This record gives sequence, C-alpha cells and structure tokens, in this order.
Amino acid sequence: MVSWIISNPLIAAAIACAAAAALLLVWYLVRRPALSHATKLVLLAGIGVLPLATAMTGNVAGYEATKSRQFCGACHVMTPYKTDSEDRHSTALAARHARNALFGEDNCYACHADYGMFGTITTKLGGLRHVYEYTFHYRNMPLDEARDKIHILRPFQNATCMHCHSTEGPTWNAVKEHASLLVRVRGGEVSCASEGCHGPAHPFSKPAQPPHKEQAP
Amino acid sequence: MTIWQRLSGLVTLRLSAVLTLIALALMVWSMLEPTPLPVMLAMSAGQGIGILAFGIYLFIVVRELVRELRRARQREPS
Repeated sequence: MVSWIISNPLIAAAIACAAAAALLLVWYLVRRPALSHATKLVLLAGIGVLPLATAMTGNVAGYEATKSRQFCGACHVMTPYKTDSEDRHSTALAARHARNALFGEDNCYACHADYGMFGTITTKLGGLRHVYEYTFHYRNMPLDEARDKIHILRPFQNATCMHCHSTEGPTWNAVKEHASLLVRVRGGEVSCASEGCHGPAHPFSKPAQPPHKEQAP
Repeated sequence: MTIWQRLSGLVTLRLSAVLTLIALALMVWSMLEPTPLPVMLAMSAGQGIGILAFGIYLFIVVRELVRELRRARQREPS
C-alpha cells in the first residue's frame, strides 16, 4: 500500500494535503482557540486551501482510476470479462489488446470510450448509467446468469478501432479482406469485431440488442 | 435577530471543521480503494460536503469582518 502511494505522485500529494488539513482541524477542535486572525488563517488552510488541493489532485487520480481494468472489474458481473482480459493465453480480441503495452491496464476504457471533443464526458455519463443499472438491476444477479444476459447496448463502432487502426496504412490495406471491405468497414456496415473478422471481442460477447427494462448497460 | 445572526461563530466553525474532516475521509478512501462506490462518493458527497464546509467558513469570517467594520465605524467620532 505504501509503495503504491509513493509510486503515484498525485495520490501521494493528495494524501499529504489531506493529512496536513486533518492535523490543523484536529488541533482546532481539540484546543478550541479564540477566533483570532491567526486562527482564521489556520482554518483557511485547514478548511479551504488544503482540502481544495486534495480535491483537485484527488479528482485527477480518481479520473485515472476510473480508466483502469480493476475499476471496471469491481462489479462482479464484469468478472468474466476482466478474467479473460488478464488471461495470457486467451486469444480473444480484448485479451490481445490487454497484452499491448499501449492499452495495458486500461484496455476496457481504451476500447469502450467515446472519442471526439466530448468523448470523455459522454463516456463518464455512460459509466454513471452502468452504475445505476448495476445497483438497481444486476447487483444480486448470479454470475452465470449475468454472463448469459449481459450484452453491449449499441453495436460496437468501427470508429473506435479506427482511432488506432486508421485503415489508411499500406500494411492494413495489404490484407485482401481489408482492401475488399474498405468502404463497408469505414462506413460501419461490417464490424471489425464481428465473427469471421476479428471478433468476438470477448469469448461470451453477444450482439447488441435494443434497450428495454430488463437489459444490461 | 435572524437565525444567521444567532449562530455562534465558534460553534459553526467547529461544525465546518468536522464536515471538512468527513469530506477529507471520503476523498482519501476513494484514493486508497479506487472502486466505483468510494470514487463516486468522493466526487459527489465528499466534494459537496467540502464545499458546504468552506462556504460556512467564508460566511462566518465575512460576517465577523462586517461586524468589525461596523464597530470601527461606530467608534469613529462623527
């Protein structure tokens, strides 16, 4: 735990600020000094400056944490997806990307995030919906049932793959299937993650279905 | 006398200090255990409580300053 905190400067800074603020506040609560100018300054640091610094650095650290596979896999229904991604022998598309150093620990986010100017915001809003669905519909669902029921909400967009695989490179176009399907791949008519191409992304992936009350996020 | 005027500065500042400690605890918990519940609590309740505590502090300090200014004006010879 200590080495993990020290290895992450943001978290170390946030915890140091929080500890300093807590010390000042505990001193104030225990000693109960008069409200002099010095006390006001101490409280400004303990209630204002240091907690604000904790919140700011904590927000960045928290945001980075939400991108990790550990975070996505914290809900039990995601366990099979996380386990497959971490399986070094798995040949599923997600697992192969997880072994890529550019994706690594953040492979869920890298493939399921929206891109573009407001991509981060829409991704986080989608994440809030996941938390809502999990809390009110899937929290007590047995894992076997969840594995059969949970599916992606919308068809996986090729634009996400094309964020890295631009379809412009000569190596990519040298593949006969790519060249023959170029227009349909770029137009999203043929999914990169479909069976027969590079899919399924996960061993138990299911096609997207229209949303209704009983469905997964 | 309104409720705001009746609030004792010292008691309210103690409340503000306790609220800040709660907010800090939520924020630190989210960093030590970065799972959905702590992270969401820190970014919503934690920050809300922290802002409320800072608001209380500012309110008390500004109120004290205004009172000091009034007293100073009353002491000035007209």
